[in-house]
Amino acid sequence: MSLVQPEMRPHYPDYATAPTQHHFSPYADNGGSVVAIAGDDFVVIGADTRLSAGFSIYTRDQNKLFRLSDTTVLGCSGCWCDTLTLTRILTARMQMYQQEHNKVMTTPACAQMLSTMLYYKRFFPYYISNILVGLDNEGKGCVYSYDPIGHCEKATYRAGGSAGALLQPLLDNQIGLKNMQNVGDSKLSLERALAVLKDVFISAAERDIFTGDSILINVITKDGIQDYSFQLRKD
Amino acid sequence: MFLTRSEYDRGVNTFSPEGRLFQVEYAIEAIKLGSTAIGICTSEGVVLAVEKRITSPLMEPTTIEKIVEVDKHIGCAVSGLMADSRTMIDRARVECQNHWFVYNENMSVESCAQAVSNLAIQFGDSDDDGAAMSRPFGVAILFAGIDEKGPQLYHMDPSGTFVQFDAKAIGSGSEGAQQSLQEVYHRSMTLSEATTAALTILKQVMEEKLNSSNVEVMTMTPAQMFHMFTKEQVEEVISKLS
Amino acid sequence: MSVLCPETPAPGFSFANCKRNALLESKGFPVPKATKTGTTIVGIIFKDGVILGADTRATEDTTVSDKNCEKIHYLAPNMYCCGAGTAADTEQTTQMISSQLELHRLFTNRVARVATANQMLKQYLFRYQGHIGAALVLGGVDSTGPHLYSIYPHGSTDKLPYTTMGSGSLAAMAVFESRWNPDLEEEEGVKLVRDAIAAGIFNDLGSGSNVDICIIRKGSVDYRRTFDEANKKGVRQSSYRYPKGTTAVLSSKTIDVEVVDVTVHPIEPEHMDTA
Repeated sequence: MSLVQPEMRPHYPDYATAPTQHHFSPYADNGGSVVAIAGDDFVVIGADTRLSAGFSIYTRDQNKLFRLSDTTVLGCSGCWCDTLTLTRILTARMQMYQQEHNKVMTTPACAQMLSTMLYYKRFFPYYISNILVGLDNEGKGCVYSYDPIGHCEKATYRAGGSAGALLQPLLDNQIGLKNMQNVGDSKLSLERALAVLKDVFISAAERDIFTGDSILINVITKDGIQDYSFQLRKD
Repeated sequence: MFLTRSEYDRGVNTFSPEGRLFQVEYAIEAIKLGSTAIGICTSEGVVLAVEKRITSPLMEPTTIEKIVEVDKHIGCAVSGLMADSRTMIDRARVECQNHWFVYNENMSVESCAQAVSNLAIQFGDSDDDGAAMSRPFGVAILFAGIDEKGPQLYHMDPSGTFVQFDAKAIGSGSEGAQQSLQEVYHRSMTLSEATTAALTILKQVMEEKLNSSNVEVMTMTPAQMFHMFTKEQVEEVISKLS
Repeated sequence: MSVLCPETPAPGFSFANCKRNALLESKGFPVPKATKTGTTIVGIIFKDGVILGADTRATEDTTVSDKNCEKIHYLAPNMYCCGAGTAADTEQTTQMISSQLELHRLFTNRVARVATANQMLKQYLFRYQGHIGAALVLGGVDSTGPHLYSIYPHGSTDKLPYTTMGSGSLAAMAVFESRWNPDLEEEEGVKLVRDAIAAGIFNDLGSGSNVDICIIRKGSVDYRRTFDEANKKGVRQSSYRYPKGTTAVLSSKTIDVEVVDVTVHPIEPEHMDTA
């Protein structure tokens, strides 16, 4: 034991604290959820229309689905200002591709381009949960999901955004038919995909405070894109 | 030509009063000194055939590369200043790889030609895009490739102008060869007919006697994509020539 | 310590694990998040008494943990208290003060005053320097008339004719500021409180589900649980019942029960002794 106390200075609380650091956060989380389900000759994508910040609602009527071509739609949730920037650049890139190569960009090409665009900002990423859907070169429905820095995964169904973690297991069971036996492998119909899409959003609105108000749905088939909307709870 | 020759043929960035860019025209003339290259596009695929000028018996013929691969689905034949052609081929290769990297699909032959054309016209004064080249390239290129539109053949001259062709000849023997191509070409030509026709015409316009070491032959087909003929394969085609 | 005389636990909070928890946190094992009632709670004084109102959503971070919780707590027969903040703190604090008020009523043989409850709550909260995260709206009627207090987690209190608290307080206060007056009839008051809570439910993400209302008059209380169902749950489009045999049986084992002997004792029904 030492005879001299190690801290001889009197303790003044005002001076003992470390200097206050202020820092600017360039990101905001504006919430929202996106769900996409693909079938053999169609794909559906839905996003809720609530735009929020913290505990307040900015608007109850914000479309989060972006039409990139007649067969490609992108659903975005997360930081809204990043979404606006990314989708504007994407639209420009779609047009430039069309003019440079005299053809409309296919969904798989667009999926790859989005991945490179996101990775290009590896160390200052777009804070967005992206889900890209469309028809592939054979006319089959396809879903591509991304992390904010460009990891891309092709799937047949996907939930993303603030209620993504809540909904993905539900889709695994109802669309992926996981953890069930004797369920057969009947083809997924457009009607069932739409019903499940609406139902999972009803459930999301029950438990996720950032998801609600209503959803906008895009159905993509070889005949084009159709719009639907569906009301959710508003609290 | 000599009548209008004046001060205006010195700079690449100055039009003559008649509206001509002499340096570009001279560059096009330079191609006519180059070795002959022929390309024929059929529904089965594209064939490229070029002559290699063996100027010395001590020269190693295989080191003259006039037909090269740009990507698996695009090949090209060049005529003119070989050193210049390397720069252009490098650009074509980079653009094809970049397109694959960004879009995960093959670049179309037309887009590839467009990309090389963008490089070809960067002579004159430097601008924001970087330093300019002092003169136009002295190279003409035949692009042979397969994309979603099928087999395609494009020709590009030193001015950067590129046009799609069914059959095209470039280089010193191009005038005669082009005439012959017009006579033999028809839409239902098979690839092997086209290969034979290309070598027959090449044989006619070449100064030296055609053999398996002074020509290069390449076919681009959906099954095999870029395929360089081996010495044996070339000999087989030559043996069938009348 | 013998079995016959069990050790009485020390009163108050136990801080035994504080050091351990701090160490665990520094090693990357944070304390789990407590349930917060991101809330709208309100209270007004009307002509004949006090009306309290609350929403019924409880949240854990950004997920709803209870879709229909009770936020208007009983304190005394003439007093109720709305709680916002950490759910456990509001519940325990009001229950404990409720028990003390009952003892106080028995000791003094008088109806406890609202001012007394306010004093007890603020002293208790001040003692814990804001660590007890309870934000309360206290309302009641006693011999001196109707009273309404708002009490903050650090122990400060306001005595007000109308007040709001919780994350939806601004939305609710906007309604009060435009429509409250001292001479409100009960029916008008109830409508005003409902609208204030509804404003919180719809415009604040921390508040939601239904409206609870409690009307306290002199000598009577009207607790209207689920006064208004502000939001109807969506109707499912599809059925999600699993047919029999969907769940895989991984293994099964049968244990036979051996019946050794059976005896039956009939029991006569006995008549109740009404003598």
